[in-house]
Amino acid sequence: MPPRYTLLYVLFLSLLFLAACNQVDPGFYDGPGKRPVYAAPSALENIRNLPPQTIEQSGTIFLKDTLFFMLERGRGIHVFNIKDSASIRALTFLEIPAIGDFTISGNRLYADSWRDLLTIDISNLYNIQLLDRQRGVFSPALFPPQYDGFFECVDESKGAVVRWEDTELIDALCRTF
Amino acid sequence: MKNFILLLAAFLFIGLSSCSKESGLELDTTGKSGSITRFVAYQGFMYALNLNEVQTYSLANPDKPQLVHRLATDYGLETIIVYEGTVYLGSTTALYVLDISTPATPKILAQTERPDIFQGGCDPVVVKGNYAYSTIKIVQNRCGNIGAESALLVYDLSDKSNPKQVGMYFLSEPNGLGYKDNVLFVCDEGADQVILFDISNPENLTQLNQALPLQDPVDLIVDGSRMIVSARTGFVFYDLSALPDVRKIGEISK
Repeated sequence: MPPRYTLLYVLFLSLLFLAACNQVDPGFYDGPGKRPVYAAPSALENIRNLPPQTIEQSGTIFLKDTLFFMLERGRGIHVFNIKDSASIRALTFLEIPAIGDFTISGNRLYADSWRDLLTIDISNLYNIQLLDRQRGVFSPALFPPQYDGFFECVDESKGAVVRWEDTELIDALCRTF
Repeated sequence: MKNFILLLAAFLFIGLSSCSKESGLELDTTGKSGSITRFVAYQGFMYALNLNEVQTYSLANPDKPQLVHRLATDYGLETIIVYEGTVYLGSTTALYVLDISTPATPKILAQTERPDIFQGGCDPVVVKGNYAYSTIKIVQNRCGNIGAESALLVYDLSDKSNPKQVGMYFLSEPNGLGYKDNVLFVCDEGADQVILFDISNPENLTQLNQALPLQDPVDLIVDGSRMIVSARTGFVFYDLSALPDVRKIGEISK
């Protein structure tokens, strides 16, 4: 099943809907659930080229001439040369920690990385450069996408959430509905 | 005043649509995205979706976008496209139509009502001529709404401030979509197929027999006479030069 974002809301965001859903107030919860996996604050600065990486989970796709970009949510962007459909070449991987989505205009790539908007110069595809970081402009979801149940609440002092993993929860307070 | 602006916008649209041709998704210069994206750059501006707002950035200095406007919406924005100078947003609860005749200050022209059973979907949209095609995917229902369905919805946009739903086709678990000529391609992740519809009559689509088997298709880009379809862990190329026959011509997989 694809992790498509949203539709489930953290409790504190969802008061409006509670009545309609007959949701009971959550207490502490022990048992199976989800917990966030973080990119540490220092790791968020690692915007750089890496060798081509395996596609774990495809996301937004973008075609620019013969260059094909494919989002790997939370990690970065795969880049391929697709001039010859029968012989596609992986060129590089743009590491952009905590990336949620992106677009390209000219030779500038714009992406969100957790709460920030990044502007990246891709005129040299093999040597990308961060030009600008605008902090705190986005409000990413603080809950696991497409999930119904308890999860470990996000603690942003640990960094940015890049994915969610299954875990055994102890004293969990947060839940989607 | 608001009515006056709407009226003005309507006239601008009439003017725009009468002098522009069908051109598919419009993006900056040479770029083209799939149908599922939260960012779009268009004529010196970038529109970015936040949870419950559309942010407009001026790209006058492309090295440092400047936030110039925030348009409040309901929660649940998911996808954005620009088609013939109009912005279309897919959200979990509605299809939005935005007037960007003044690109720095988008305005909501319309927000469709959607039956409750379709709330909570993942909702990319594409537009061709006067019709919008939007998929609604229910994966896991809010409120345990077991009866919810996924579908392809068709809207008549002759009056952009009042889109009318003119078609509904149930699908298993649809994702991204796109078209070439009169063939609409819909990624159906539940059916592990890209499903083809004949859209020559937008108010009465016919599903074609040439469905393309593909594990977990997600989104697609039509690139001239070929199509790139992304799947969960790879992507596939198809030749579209002999529609409705489609031939696989390349592949990258994990």
